Amino acid sequence: MDTPSQALATRITERLVREGLITAEAAKRLQPKFAEGKLRPEDWRLPIELAEKKEAKP
Amino acid sequence: MSAAGLKKLTIEHLRGSVAPFALPLEQGKKLTVVYGENASGKSTICDAFEFLGKGRVGSLENRGLGKTNKYWHSVGKKPTDVAVTLENLDGSSCRAIIVKSDVVANPAAFRPRVEVLRRSQILALVEAKPGDRYAAISRFIDVSGVETSEAALRQLIRDLAGNGEVALARVRENLDAIIQFWEAAGKPGTDPLSWADTESKRDPNAADAEVAALIRLQAAYSRLNDYPARLKSASDVVKRAKEAATEAEQQAQQCVLTVATDAGEVMGVLQAARAYLHKHPSPAVCPLCESAERVEGLDQRITQRLASFSTLQMAQNRTKETEAAVQRAEQQWEALRDNAKNDAEGFEKARAGFVWSADIPMPAATPQDTDSLEVWLTASAHLTAKWKNAETARQDKKQFIGTLRRALRTYMENVQAQQELDVLLPKLNRALEIVEEERRAFTDSILARIAGEVGRIYELVHPGEGLNKISLALDPSKRASLEIGASFCGETGAPPQAYFSDSHLDTFGLCVFLALAAMDDPENTILVLDDVVASVDEPHVERLIEMLYAEAIEFRHCLITTHYRPWKEKLRWGWLKNGQCQFVELAKWTNQHGLTLIRSVPDVERLRILLAETPPDPQLVCAKAGVILEAALDFLTQLYECSVPRRPGGPYTLGDLLPSIAKKLRNALQVEVLARDAAGALSYQTKSLTPILDELIRIAQARNVFGCHFNALSFELLDSDAIGFGQKVLELIETLADPDAGWPRNSKSGKYWANSGETRRLHPLQQPT
Repeated sequence: MDTPSQALATRITERLVREGLITAEAAKRLQPKFAEGKLRPEDWRLPIELAEKKEAKP
Repeated sequence: MSAAGLKKLTIEHLRGSVAPFALPLEQGKKLTVVYGENASGKSTICDAFEFLGKGRVGSLENRGLGKTNKYWHSVGKKPTDVAVTLENLDGSSCRAIIVKSDVVANPAAFRPRVEVLRRSQILALVEAKPGDRYAAISRFIDVSGVETSEAALRQLIRDLAGNGEVALARVRENLDAIIQFWEAAGKPGTDPLSWADTESKRDPNAADAEVAALIRLQAAYSRLNDYPARLKSASDVVKRAKEAATEAEQQAQQCVLTVATDAGEVMGVLQAARAYLHKHPSPAVCPLCESAERVEGLDQRITQRLASFSTLQMAQNRTKETEAAVQRAEQQWEALRDNAKNDAEGFEKARAGFVWSADIPMPAATPQDTDSLEVWLTASAHLTAKWKNAETARQDKKQFIGTLRRALRTYMENVQAQQELDVLLPKLNRALEIVEEERRAFTDSILARIAGEVGRIYELVHPGEGLNKISLALDPSKRASLEIGASFCGETGAPPQAYFSDSHLDTFGLCVFLALAAMDDPENTILVLDDVVASVDEPHVERLIEMLYAEAIEFRHCLITTHYRPWKEKLRWGWLKNGQCQFVELAKWTNQHGLTLIRSVPDVERLRILLAETPPDPQLVCAKAGVILEAALDFLTQLYECSVPRRPGGPYTLGDLLPSIAKKLRNALQVEVLARDAAGALSYQTKSLTPILDELIRIAQARNVFGCHFNALSFELLDSDAIGFGQKVLELIETLADPDAGWPRNSKSGKYWANSGETRRLHPLQQPT
């Protein structure tokens, strides 16, 4: 059974994907560390930048 | 996957179980009610579940005993004698024992999940400090992992915002520097940035060769600079040496004239003789004349004569030294002249070997003659400053291009960084908003779910009292702090501790416990409630029991202990939903046998057993049937608000109750009985109570004659009358009530009275007028 942190991390990453802030692949990678509280500041930056670049591509 | 149903609990030497005690659990019933007077061992059964599931014995805690392990085993037994075994319906089991001071369950995979609530703990959560309250529910709302990651995102935004400010400052700083350079250069081109771009593309090393040539030229010129002085000095040295040599020669000649004409030759002979006498001291004869006369003291006499020639010798030595000095001075002067010529050639090479820019002036060719060097140097001396200026100007230009290039690069980089941040920061801020929103919504929804569940359960016990609007809220000003509120007299969010009665608070505490337990894997949880009903006031007990029945089915199993006697009686009379409940009664505990079970049989079941005996005992049948009939009539007369003779004290008798069912009502009473047909399908069969009641009115005297007192009239009656009375009562009660689902007391349908599950529908709803 998911811990509250795991359940919430899933909800949040799904919404970030829906709003185009991160990609679905990045969400999968982020989720475990997100729930465990192991995301560092730079771990947030990269997926958002990548999603931005992907979005910018024609 | 939910765990298997329970089969049997065996307790060996834990607390009150001085002898092994087995509690068989009926298959298909998820609720077990253990009734027992005080000190019958109810808490030991609860302890056993807690020992097995949680490795502790909660009933001993908070009693000032310190570490309670030493009191876990029964008196006269050792900790190693303690064991609790739970057998499951699927054949699996789990046994817990004490190893050293730990409780070890084996196999651990089958260790059951157990939640225990004792009467003394009902208010623990309600009355706890907000922080402790939070701790109790943190397993549902603890999102500290997400909060830590959220803090990292917040930190990133803060850092980037700081970086953005720095980048902006650098953009301004570098633009100012470029504008200054541009202005210093006379504002060429259209704007400072395009000018700086063009300038920075120039080759900073273009003037390097000329600078190197200038350095070489200046070095060569510098080497020539002191030759005139040095040549003059060398020439002076030659002149002075020659003068000294002339003077020494003259002095030596004067000395020779003074001493003797042949003094020089004599001195040579004397020096040779002294050298000979050094080698051959004390000769027998003179080495020159070979005479032995005056040979003695010859050495001393030669030394004395030589001393008289020393002045001449010194003059001659001086002459030789001055001649050598003249020679050395002339050599040095020659060497210096050669060097001057070479360095002059070197300068000429440096001057003529490079194509100089127009702004660099050059002197005339260097003179071949060293004597003219001084004049040439004087004429060209002013050029050295110009060469230095030209070199510095070129070095400055190189440095300037480097500085301009760096300033432009830094400017461009920071402009780009600023532009990237302008795109990134809003996205990060949006991400943070989402994280915060979702976190709050998540915890709020869980708290609302718990609160809603508490309110729902509470409403089951206190319907319509308006106290079911429960709120749970995290205190935003404190970390991990939970506030609890309830509705009271129209006021919401009121602390229940401040407004609720003790009984309401007890119910509330129980509801909070049940709501939390139901949220956490209930189908795998054994719920144990130790004597929690006793603290609830009488009007609410029945609804509380109904609520417990309803909630218990959510769990793997629910065990409730009670010493509340009416519960036992209601079960005895079949008023409750006995179908899903196993009722167990404990006898008084003894130190010899410990816990023991009493067989409890409901009265209707007992009547059925009495009637099935061969032969049946008329007196016992009538007595039991009479009591059951009184219960049924008591129920009907209350349900239809029938007129019954009123008298002070004393219970109503059969003679009071039976006539109170008026004929109109008696004729209208009918029951829809839910039953399975031969094919197994469920359907209602309508059965009228009229013939049963009519017949009971006719033979009711049998009860008094046979069942109540010694009565000689009974001699006159047949046993079959007594048995018939018993059978009719059994027929009435089986029609009216379901031993598993209770009596029809619910009028929610608006058309009839129904019991739980509507296995009985009693018509009419009201007494006919």
